[in-house]
Amino acid sequence: MIHWLLRRSLQAVLTFLVVTVLLFVLMRLTPGDPLQRLAGDRQVSAAEAAALRRRFGIDQPITTQFRTFVTGALAGDLGVSIEHYPTRVSTLLVSRLPASLLLGGTVLVLTFGFGIALGALQAVRRGRRVDRWLTRVSLALYAMPSFWLGLVLAWFFGIRLQMLPVAQMHDPLFDPEATWLAGAGDVLRHLILPATTLTAVSLAAVMHYQRTALLEVLRLDFVLAARARGLPERQVLWRHAWRNALFPVVGLLGLWLPMLVTGSVFVEQVFNWPGLGHLAADAVGARDYPVILGTAMLVSAQVLLGGLLADLGYYALDPRVRRA
Amino acid sequence: MRRFLRPVALLLLVTPAATSLARSQVATRQETIVIEMGREPITPIPTLTRGNTAAQQVSDMLFLPLARLGPNNITAGDTDFEPQLARSWRRRDSLTLEFEIDPRARWHDGVPVTARDAALALNLARDSTVSAGTALLLRRVASVTPEDDRHLVVRFSEAYDEQFYDVVFHVSPLPAHLVDTVPRGELARSAYAAAPVGNGPYRWVRRVPGQQLDLAADAQFFRGSPGPRRVTVLVVPDPEAQINLLLSGGADVLQSLGPVTNVARVTADKRITIYPVPSFTVGYLLFNQRDPADLARPHPVLADRDVRAAIAMALDIPALVQATFGPWASVPVGPVPQLSWIRDPAARVAAANPAGARALLRARGWSDTDGDGILDRAGKPLALSLNFPATSSPRAQLALLVQEQLRHVGIRLELNRLDGSVWSERRDRGNFDIDFSSATLDPSPSGLVQSWSCAGRGGSNVGYYCDPKVDALLGQAQHDRKHALSLYREAVRALVSDVPAVFLFSPTSPYAVSSRIHRVDLNPVAPFSALWRWNPGPLP
Repeated sequence: MIHWLLRRSLQAVLTFLVVTVLLFVLMRLTPGDPLQRLAGDRQVSAAEAAALRRRFGIDQPITTQFRTFVTGALAGDLGVSIEHYPTRVSTLLVSRLPASLLLGGTVLVLTFGFGIALGALQAVRRGRRVDRWLTRVSLALYAMPSFWLGLVLAWFFGIRLQMLPVAQMHDPLFDPEATWLAGAGDVLRHLILPATTLTAVSLAAVMHYQRTALLEVLRLDFVLAARARGLPERQVLWRHAWRNALFPVVGLLGLWLPMLVTGSVFVEQVFNWPGLGHLAADAVGARDYPVILGTAMLVSAQVLLGGLLADLGYYALDPRVRRA
Repeated sequence: MRRFLRPVALLLLVTPAATSLARSQVATRQETIVIEMGREPITPIPTLTRGNTAAQQVSDMLFLPLARLGPNNITAGDTDFEPQLARSWRRRDSLTLEFEIDPRARWHDGVPVTARDAALALNLARDSTVSAGTALLLRRVASVTPEDDRHLVVRFSEAYDEQFYDVVFHVSPLPAHLVDTVPRGELARSAYAAAPVGNGPYRWVRRVPGQQLDLAADAQFFRGSPGPRRVTVLVVPDPEAQINLLLSGGADVLQSLGPVTNVARVTADKRITIYPVPSFTVGYLLFNQRDPADLARPHPVLADRDVRAAIAMALDIPALVQATFGPWASVPVGPVPQLSWIRDPAARVAAANPAGARALLRARGWSDTDGDGILDRAGKPLALSLNFPATSSPRAQLALLVQEQLRHVGIRLELNRLDGSVWSERRDRGNFDIDFSSATLDPSPSGLVQSWSCAGRGGSNVGYYCDPKVDALLGQAQHDRKHALSLYREAVRALVSDVPAVFLFSPTSPYAVSSRIHRVDLNPVAPFSALWRWNPGPLP
């Protein structure tokens, strides 16, 4: 087990390093000038432009920039944001991480919680009305662009009914010294629309995976044997069949873990949710190289970690993997 | 089942708690003005805000300048300026100005504002390591000296019309007792920048990075008691989120409504009032007079003044602007925004003349020999490309209309919709035929020199336009106070006749403000400088 884990971890670290170098090179090769956003429509003199390039080190050759980046990164310093100068990239990432984790975590829990439950229900009621309607509704939601659904929900619940906040993570006038409970309630109200939007458009995939996997398992001999032994149907379903039908969903969960940090760029923008997806999208538009690199590194680390955790999940759930 | 019920019960407990708290916040909300801004106002400190409009607008609430530009925006001389921190001023000679600081002025920590504060800020701004941009603008300031606590003396290296403007417009005083120990060049990263102490109607409360910034009224403000007790600035980059927040009542002020359709949507809501605020922005089709493939050579098509003139003649500019902006833009004559004091109200854009354009092109050897509808000469079609940023929907819409109108006279226009930073990079490198530019100018017409003089070629003058006559007129206008207006106007006329660009629009910004707010006064140069006089009413 330890040998396997070490080998997988080493692979992950090497992949991370290669991805980081590629990201750095590709980003610098992409056309675009970070000074455009800094200047806006204002005319910038040559001296001013030169001073700005010097400040951010983008007047240096790419090799020098790479050396500076690597030296800084090894010391835990990802540099200074161009768009948010003088804020450090690590400070920006840390400040945006909680919002992303909250939204991404909520969506993952809701998507997998409801997805697994509804997918299992569909499998058990295969071909019946509830199965057909759940398929139709989930596919319809899946086909909707998340930003569009977000706008519709914001218009209906936020503008028309004035029930829920349409943007931000907190009420801007919320007293920072209020109680924890009040703070949680405030965040919860702001979380409802973005989390619902993302869950709605993501649910179909998990439902479909779970339904198909459970249907396949229900056809296997060991399920028939369990029934033949006279076990109650609930026990057959949940203790024997469902556990074996979880493997594909666990794999899917591993792939979706990066969502914890990136969330959905569009949904974060529509609801002005102060997460990393929002930050990354702005950084790409502004050619804020250090921030793009910082968020991309975080996402690639998350993808690799997700893969590793999925493998660990298989390892824990499937005795065949442990024996292999 | 119990496990399932527990979180539900918690939710039921939490939500009413939050709701009841929201009720207790109603009074605070009523006294607060919530402004949406598209960018984060990082370091809203004079001398550090150049280029960040949001930071400049917040800075206008935190800090007062020595004097503020008046309603006519006349930057020459000192007659159109209103006293702010400076109670009065006088000219000692053609090279020396003296300001008297208002003795009532206080920093938010209670320390009196002195001439030393103004001198410190001006000297910082003249330092290119602090701000290369303002250092260039203040290059003709020779020295800044506080004579005593109340009197500031500014000396210039040459006599020119905009001495007063240069001193008061680009810089506001900074608290010397807090800033002079900060190493130069480190101001943006200093503890002071993290929580600036100002002298304006509002003082700094807190910043939630990437989300919001809170200001509170300074009850001791020497020019009067601010009406709104709090100002909260929300950072909302997405245009749809901005509109939603405004319409849901989550914000009171939005300064950029985007396309005309958004204006109509917001106008339909009785809870919102639209205030038109003219701008210092001009949008234009800039012709590259050098060959993009080799900037040392003239452009094979656009170096010809008659071809440029034919393109201008082919366009029905008022119709284009009306179709794109509705009433929210005017047509400028030359690179002169609608608010500029040198604008000639009698000047008119020539009417569209497609037949004249075709005749002019024919005279230059362009004719449709192969009958494909596109003019050609020596076997080469009259085909040009137009670069514009994808982020600007008005420019994208105008580009399509321009393409169609040019097609009618036999010019093929290829549209290159580019990512903002790619567009900018190509523009700065001269890699374009026609660039859809938009420039927000300072109120001073001296800025024309940067973009339209021979000396500016290769720098801000990316189209490589050069006319020594225009240069001479602009130079004279800056030093001849008596004839400045007529000289500037003559320079603009000469420039327009050279057709270095087709000047299309000067927009008016529709500011959306909650109808509960009364006495709204939006200064085009510093929109929120008079916000402290606004009067917020009860929530709808």
